[in-house]
Formats: sequence, structure tokens, C-alpha cells
Amino acid sequence: MTDPTSDSARIAAEPLLSLNAITKRFGSFTALSDVSLDLRPGEIHCILGENGAGKSTLCNLIFGVHRPDGGSMRYRGAPFQPSGPADSLAQGIAMVHQHFSLVGDMSVVDNVLLGRARGVLDRKACAAQLDRLAGEYGLPLDPLARIEDLSVGERQRVEIVKCLIRDPSLFVLDEPTAVLLPDEIAALLDVCRRVAASGRAVVLVTHKLAEIKQVADRVTVLRAGRVVATSDNPAAEIDALVRAMIQGSVEALDESTASMLGFEPVRHVDHGPAAVQPKAEVLQIDGLTVTDHQGVTRLDNFTLTVDRGEIVGVAGVEGNGQSELTAVLAGMMAPTQGRIYLGDQDLTGRSPREITAAGVGIVPEDRHAVGCVTGMSLAENIYLNRLDEFTRFGFLRRAALERDAAAMMQRFDVRARGPGAPFSSLSGGNQQKAVLAREITLPNLACLVAAQPTRGLDVGAVAAVYGHIRAACSRGVAILLVSSELDELLTVADRIVVLYRGQLMGACAADPSRREVIGAMMAGQPL
Amino acid sequence: MTAVNHGRGTGTWPKLTLRPALLVPVAAVGFAALVGLALIAAIGVPVSGAIAAFVDGTFGSLYVIAASINRSTAFALVGFGFVLANRASLTNVGGEGQIAVGGIAATAVALYGHVAALPLGLSFILPMLAAVAAGALWGALAAVLKVKSGTNEVISTLLLSFIGVWLLYWCVQSPALLRKPMTSSATLPESLEIPDETKLPLLTGDYSFPLHVGLPLTLVIAVVVAVLLSKTVLGFRLRAVGLNPVAAHRAGISYARTVVFALATAGALGGLAGALMLLGEQYTLKDGFSSGYGFDGLVAGLLSRGSIPGVIAASLLFGFMRSGGINMEMAAAVPTALVVVIQGLIVITLAGAALVIERWERS
Repeated sequence: MTDPTSDSARIAAEPLLSLNAITKRFGSFTALSDVSLDLRPGEIHCILGENGAGKSTLCNLIFGVHRPDGGSMRYRGAPFQPSGPADSLAQGIAMVHQHFSLVGDMSVVDNVLLGRARGVLDRKACAAQLDRLAGEYGLPLDPLARIEDLSVGERQRVEIVKCLIRDPSLFVLDEPTAVLLPDEIAALLDVCRRVAASGRAVVLVTHKLAEIKQVADRVTVLRAGRVVATSDNPAAEIDALVRAMIQGSVEALDESTASMLGFEPVRHVDHGPAAVQPKAEVLQIDGLTVTDHQGVTRLDNFTLTVDRGEIVGVAGVEGNGQSELTAVLAGMMAPTQGRIYLGDQDLTGRSPREITAAGVGIVPEDRHAVGCVTGMSLAENIYLNRLDEFTRFGFLRRAALERDAAAMMQRFDVRARGPGAPFSSLSGGNQQKAVLAREITLPNLACLVAAQPTRGLDVGAVAAVYGHIRAACSRGVAILLVSSELDELLTVADRIVVLYRGQLMGACAADPSRREVIGAMMAGQPL
Repeated sequence: MTAVNHGRGTGTWPKLTLRPALLVPVAAVGFAALVGLALIAAIGVPVSGAIAAFVDGTFGSLYVIAASINRSTAFALVGFGFVLANRASLTNVGGEGQIAVGGIAATAVALYGHVAALPLGLSFILPMLAAVAAGALWGALAAVLKVKSGTNEVISTLLLSFIGVWLLYWCVQSPALLRKPMTSSATLPESLEIPDETKLPLLTGDYSFPLHVGLPLTLVIAVVVAVLLSKTVLGFRLRAVGLNPVAAHRAGISYARTVVFALATAGALGGLAGALMLLGEQYTLKDGFSSGYGFDGLVAGLLSRGSIPGVIAASLLFGFMRSGGINMEMAAAVPTALVVVIQGLIVITLAGAALVIERWERS
């Protein structure tokens, strides 16, 4: 935690950027209403709020993606009306977006050079700069690696480095820690501190209270597009801030959510006894090996069983075979070796359709690429894999589809204009709830594989996701929870196994006192 | 081909409001026509004569009106196929070849399939079905290449077009295939004329107004395709695969089957267009049979931005334009090249108009 006495000296009194009564509307929807706030040189200013509260819109206004419908902005003492992101960038405002903007087929260094280079590309100089930044901020990257070969976490690092290399005076990060490892988060928060210490303003959009406690100098809380609370001493006033954010009492927070958010010390929360006889193996993964087209072994002789009513967590640094494991279980990738059984049914190499029919629900790691069709409606996405139920003589019974989807929205608290709303208009949390709703309501659900199910979600959505996963578990569903958030696994899972370079490093009970042991396994030290 | 809009993804018919949606295209066509007239004046052809020839060629007689509509049906069928495949994010540019193989199949069955004596219209229905099958095969070939080895369908349908067009050339050049018996060295490289029974019946029975059954058939197909795209599970699958093939696959929608269905159907419609052209209009198969109709149909599909009524409107425009252009060339001595230039201008201004409308609607 930063020393408060040095803060007052570090943070300038004059704001670098000030927003005055900003309003932003999209059609009839008011995303931001009368929002005023100051960003001062040298401070880390956290923006806290649930999904849909207007955090991303605020960032996009600062970054010049959108223009305000009302109010004004001042930057360095002068009126500020960025004509677009390029203008903001040129004026020293850099932003790491929630969704990456990287060219998959290009190398890290080429992506960094993109939009910066003039004339001859000097990859060598750029790579050297990357190395320097990597060392300085603890963001290791292979400059020549292709983006497509990188994990989500590594891609995020590229985005961060892309900003840092510009040496910005205002550094905006929109939910940057959602995909990072505990160590990486610590390193990133360290980056934030260093950037702030050098007299720049850092805006950190987050919903993780632990981060606010650790680094925030000031906090602004948004709810439904309005500023509902501000704090100059967030570490001490955290309870009030959370209450303002979720407009409810902290006591009402689900135990495991509170624990997961760092609100309470991490502890395991039991999901209650399963209503079935114990020790009935449901999912059996036997010697699964995946070798990619370059001959690299991504998953190496991985064996695991998940019983009925059991939640098994798969921990590990991202890029250690988790993606391949879920892809194979989902039928999206054929294993090189090994077998997968559901009960006594062999599911190895089956198509996604057959796997769904067998009763395996999949919440994929990459919601946008695999989990949904953003160009279609919410109702169409909720029943994407069960269209046959809404078909008569080849015709889609749209009315029935939307009626049933409306019921699902109610049950899973998916907030949208209606079942016909475009999926892309939903917030990330609501999209995830819809995907979860689809997979968890499979009529014969026996096993649920959920990969990073709470990534980027706000408090309410996280609690909802856990609630539904636990409810399924107590109905006897076998659950495989893949997550790079160790706290999440320690809280929710019964057992944790650790993946390292595609291999099973070991297994242990989800006991928070074993955190060091698990951390060591994640770093490659066997039990 | 990112300019193609899938009817905003909802599969509903666009609302035809009288405001920009209709005025802008009209203004665009007017503008292109003015530029065209300026070009005509510039090369020294009397403008009034050119206009008179154009009007005479488009609406001057019942005959040219019927001929224009018949031509439009071929454009429209290819356009429907384009729109359908484009729903799955596939770009079928192979209309020309699909028309050619359709024409070959229809000619072969009409001449040598012993169908002339069949009752109940089978005499022309069977050649049509043969053309549909041949076109579907041509489209499916591109689909299989795409599914099996990832060949881009723009490349494969275009190259298959060349093969189809040259296949037709071979057919009419070789006496062993469809060329009519060579009685003298002056015998043209073309097929025999098809038997009267296999020609498409005229709606009025009057040769001065030769509108044939292709028109009602095309209108029925328009309704079927529009319903398929907006109301059926097939249309839903096309859209899902087009928008996100990975998520569609995960949800159990077969990518391979959807792609084959889309391109085969587009090809079938192209083949049917070829059948209408041969059985309803040309009656003998000649080199140059497809006459660029496949590309005009493609452009109609592109300009429609995914809407079936849009395809019909664009097809009628092009159908009448062609007639007017032909007459301008014959009666007013406007060079063909200039007619083609004016057509191109109209396409570009219409595409630009689409952009204007889109911005208008967004703001």
C-alpha cells in the first residue's frame, strides 16, 4: 500500500484532465449522465462500477472513441475535444481496451510498430525497447512470437506494452487485470504505481476491491451512468464504495463472491452435500495428449476424473494447456492420444453436437469467438444449440423461441431490452450469463466444463455465475472449472489440479492454506 | 465484399419508406444517366436521338417490354442465389458458369432426352430440372473445395465459371456433343433448335408479347427464398455460420453441410437462369450463350444488400437498361462500349447511394 503522506506531495492539485457534467446517450439509452471528475497528475484513479454502469463509455469518451452529448472536458488546462483515438494518442492519452486490437497473424513487434512506424521498419530497435519495458515492468514477451500463438494473458501484455512504449501522460486501463495471473497483477499494479510516480495520471477501471485497496489514490464509483460515490481515501472507505456500487449491503453478498473479490479473506465455501450417492465417476479423462500442427505438445498425458456433484478446479498459468483441454472436451479439437468418457460412454473425437447431446455443457474460455454469435439476437443465442425444439416443418417458431428465452432471461437474470435484443448490445456479464444459461439448462446435463467463467464480470454477475454452478453441482452434475484466478478455485472448487506445460503437476484439496504449494506447482515445481 | 449488408442480420424484409431509401437510388440513376448523356454528346451523337432510341428500346413496344422482363428473371435468379449464399458469408461469383452448364444440360435433355412427347409440361420441366441439377453440381464443387481444403469460394466459383463457359464452347464446337450436324462448311457452331414442345409456354400465347412462364416461376422462387432466409431453420443456420462459423460449429450446426447447401442452391438458381434463357428465349445453344448475365445477376445481388425485393428491383433496372442499350447501339449508333460504361456508372452511383442511405439511417 502506498504511503498517504507521500501521496499528497506526489499528486498535483491542478487536474490533468477534467470532465464537467458529461452526458452520453446511445439512441434512447443514457450511458452517462452528468458525470464530473478530475484526473490529476501523479494519481491512480480507480473507476469502480458494475457492468453497464458506464465505465467503458467513460473511457471511450476520454480516448476520443465517442463524443459527449453534453458537458465539456479540459485537458492540460485547455478545452479538449478529441477528434478520435489517434488525436487522443497524439496528445498523450493511451488506453488498454477490454477487447484486444491486435493483428493475429503478425508478430508482437510488428503489432507494436503498427501505426507508429514511419518509413523503414526498425524491428531491432523496437524489440530492444520491448525488452527494456519487459524488464522494467515485469511484462515478459517474445518480440518475434506471432500473436495467434499467444495466450489471452500474453496478448493482454502486448496491449499494455503497446501503450507504455508511447510514454503516455494519461494511461487508461479498462479492466486490465481480468486476464492476468496473481503475479502479473501485482506486477501491473506496480507498473501503475511507477507510471503515477513519474507524474502521470493513471485511470484503472476495475471491480476488484483488492486492487483498489492496494493502489487507488482516489476512487469514483459509477452506477447506471451516474457518479454515486467518490473517495479520496478508498482503502478506509471500501465498504461504503461497494455499497454504492451494488446498491445493497455487503452482508447480502454471497459468501464466496465476497471471498473471491478479496472482500473477506479467501476461504473455501462448501456448496453443500450433493443429493446423490458419492463417488460416481462422471467425467473421466484418460491420458489425453494434444500435439499441435507445429509438433508442440500442448497437453501431455493428462488424466483426471470428476465425480458426480464434485467441482474440480484446473489451476495454472494461462497457456499451459487449459485452452487445449477445454477445446478437446468441447469437441472443437481432436486429441492426438487418450480418451474421454462420460459415464461409460466414449466421447473421444465426437462432434460438438454429439457432445452436447450426451449432456456435456461447455462454457468456453473465449465467449466471443466460440460461445456466441454476437450478430444474432439474445433469444437465438440462448437456444443456438437446441433449435430443433423450436422447429416445425423446417420453420423456426420465433414466437415460442422468444417466449422461452424471456423465461430464461428471468431465471438467469440476463438483463437486456428483450429476447430480440442484439447479443452485441448486452454487457459482458449478461452475455456470459446467457451462455451459461444455455449450457447449464441442457435437459440431460451430466457434466459442465466452465473455462474462465467469471472473467471480466462484475460482482453481481460473478455471484450469479457461482450460484448457478453450485446449484448444478448439488443436482449431481460433475463440474470442471478451469480458471487462472487461484482465489476463485480456492473458494469454489472441492479439489484443485494444476496444469503446467500441459502436464498435471499435482492435485490437492481446495484449501487456502495450500496456496503456496499450489503456486509452486503453477510455477512448475511438482508436489 | 464487406459492403454487403445482411439486412441488418434480422432476416426481415426492409421497410420501404419513401424518404431516402427510395429517393437516393432514383437520384443516383438520374445522375448516372446525365453523365451518360454528356458522354454521348461528347462523342458527337445527337442526344435526343439517343434518348429516343433508349426509350424505344425499353418501353417502345410490348415485345421489348416482355423481352426485358424475361431477361430480368435470369438476373434475378442469379441475384437470389448470391443473396442466399451471402447470408452464410459466401460470395458466389460463378453465376456465368452456372448459367452455362445449366444451358448445356437443358439443351442436351431438350434435344436428346426424348422429352418432347411427354405430357403435363414435363417436356420443358425435365430440361429445367436437368439445368438445376447441373448448376447445383457446379456450385457444390466450389463448396466441397472450400470445406475440404479451404479454397476461397470467390476464386473457385470464378475459375469454375471459365471452365463452364469453355465447356459450353466445346459442346457447340464438337459434332460429337451438341453441335448440329454439319451439312456444309457454313454450318454455324451451335446446337439444333430445341423442339417446340420443350420451349417455355408464353403467358399470353402471343408472340408479340413473349412473356413466358419464367416470370411467375421467378416470383414464386423469390417468395420461397425470402421465406427460407427469414423464417426457417435453414436460414437461421446460414446466418449463424455466416456470422460466426466457430460458435455455430460448437452449437452443433454443420459448417460443411451449410456451405454445400448454400453454394449448391446458388448454383441451382444459376442453372435455372440458364434454362430460362435457353428454353424461353434463345432456343439454340451458341457460343457466348451466357452473355454476361451471371455478372449482371451478381451485381443485382450485391446492390440489393441482402434484400429479395432489392434483387428484383435491380434486376428489372438492368433488364430494361440492356434492352435500351441494345437499341441505342442499333438505332442511334452509340458504341456498345459507351453503353457498358453508363451501366458501370449506374452501378457505382447506386453503390454510393447505398452508403449514403446507411449513414442517413445511422444518424
